[in-house]
Order: sequence, then structure tokens, then C-alpha cells
Amino acid sequence: MSAWSQTADTAGAVLVFLGAATSLLGVIGMLRLRDVLSRSHAATKPQTFGILLVLIGVGLRMRSGMDVATLGLVVFFQMMTGPVASHLVARSAYRTGQIDHERLLFDELDEQLTDER
Amino acid sequence: MKSRLTLSYRNKELPPFSCEFGERRHVIDLPLIAWLTLIWVLLWSTLSWANVITGVVVSVAVCLAFPLPKVDLGLRLHPWGILCLVTYLLYDMYTSGIRVTRQIFDRQAHEAAVIGIPLRCRSDLMLAATAVAVSNVPGGSVVEVRRATATVFMHVLDADSPAALDAARRSVWRMEELTVRAFGTREEIARVGQPPPDTPRSGPERGSA
Repeated sequence: MSAWSQTADTAGAVLVFLGAATSLLGVIGMLRLRDVLSRSHAATKPQTFGILLVLIGVGLRMRSGMDVATLGLVVFFQMMTGPVASHLVARSAYRTGQIDHERLLFDELDEQLTDER
Repeated sequence: MKSRLTLSYRNKELPPFSCEFGERRHVIDLPLIAWLTLIWVLLWSTLSWANVITGVVVSVAVCLAFPLPKVDLGLRLHPWGILCLVTYLLYDMYTSGIRVTRQIFDRQAHEAAVIGIPLRCRSDLMLAATAVAVSNVPGGSVVEVRRATATVFMHVLDADSPAALDAARRSVWRMEELTVRAFGTREEIARVGQPPPDTPRSGPERGSA
């Protein structure tokens, strides 16, 4: 085994570990934060970054062009669908009154929705 | 006699890069076929003629079975703009990951708020792309997008200070500009080149009354 592939393997392992740790932070955040909107921050951002790190790490260990391209596809769809899912959760939580308005400092959307009625 | 297959450069009524064929004049978007074929080949993880050909057949079948409405999306690809956008997104994901982590472990709770941010672009696709990109902005997550006024409403975790709110607004506008420069038409790019619209000042100073 050449020095280069050993380096890539080690770097890949480190990246996979970092990615898993980042995703774990997201889970801790979901437990610690207090309402749906704050939790959706914790559920989406560290998780997207975590899966990116994991997949880069896997790519460094696989090192074949086609597999790396497939991993790129996974990252692409993750980045396209994650925000949509979190937006839908946030939107439905807002519209069904799961938001504690007392805890929001101010709310510019509420004014607009009130105007419509 | 009309030919069986018409390419868009022969018939100006067709959308660019598409072809029309058959008695019932099915219109097929060629870039869409290429993209679906690429996904098909990647899913099989082997580049071979058999995969490419079955990919083309499957994607044509999918496009015929589930036809999309004939609209010009206004999608243009600018390689340099895409590179800038991807670099900035990666950097932004890194910083937003760190910031959310710090907020998770903060003892004292942060004051959250929902703010509305008017955008400069007007096309549906650019609005959607900006909203997707903005979801990665540090401390912002999109609650609602208003299409008529092109306004994004987002939830900001640390809304304690007016400076943090201004920073959130500026980063959304910056993300909008990068997104449109990567994918937008010329008119949209000209539109985001202008300074951001004035927002009605709202914030803690009014909320405290």
C-alpha cells in the first residue's frame, strides 16, 4: 500500500468520524432546543454538513470515478431536498399554531397573515 | 409532408433544446433527457452503452408518461457563478454548523424572531433556488415564501440585537445575488445588481413598546 492511499484512507476515516459527530450534535440540538422552529435549525444544518463530511470521507476511501460521481449525486439531492422538508415542517407548524408566539421577539409574518383575514 | 421528428432550431415555436415527434406532437426537452440519463447511469455505477441506451429509453418513457407543462423556466447555467455559489455554500455550511452548535450548548436561551426579507428577483425558479440556498444561512430557516411580493420569511435563532438581524438580511441578499448569478437570466442578474430594497424597520425597539 502506497503512502498516498494510506493518507487518503486515514483522511477518509477522520472525515467520516467528524461527519458522524456533527450529525450527533444535530440530534443533541433537537433534544435541547425548545420549539419546533428552533429544532428545525438543529435538525437540518449540522445534519447536512455531517452527511457531506461522511460522503467526502467515503469518497476518499473508494477512489473510483464512478462511485465518487454517485456520491456527488447523493449530496446534490440531499442539499435540494433537506431545505424543502424543513421548510414544510416549519410552515405547517406555523400554520397549525404550534408556535409559541410569546417566545418570539417579534414576528413580521404574523402581521401579514392578520392583514389577509 | 411533415417530418416525423422536428428539432427546435427548425421550428421556432418550440422551446429551446427540445424536439417534437409523432402524430400527437409530443414535445421532449433534451437537457432533461440528458440529466435523467446521467442519473440513471450513476445509479447503476457503470458507464456502458447498454446503460446509456436503457437510460435514454427510460427517461423518454418517463417524460412521455408524466409530461411537464411547457414553460420557460428561465434557467441559465453560468459556470463561474455556479463555482462561486458552491464555494460560498460550503463555507457557509461550515460556519452555520458551528454557530448552531454554539447556540445549542449556550446556557442562556436566545431570543428568536420571524423576519420578512423582500427579494429583488422575480422569477419562480430563482425564488425557489434562493430559498433553498438560504436554508443554509447561519441561523436562518425559511418559514414561508410569498410569491406575489417575492418575500422570504425566516426564523432567526439569535434576534437579540439589531446587528444580528441586519447580518441575517444581508446574508440572504448576498445568497440571492450569488444564486441568480449562477442560474439566472440576464434580466434577473441586472435586477440583483441593484442595491437591496429598503425594509420597513422593525425589531426589538418596536416590539418593546
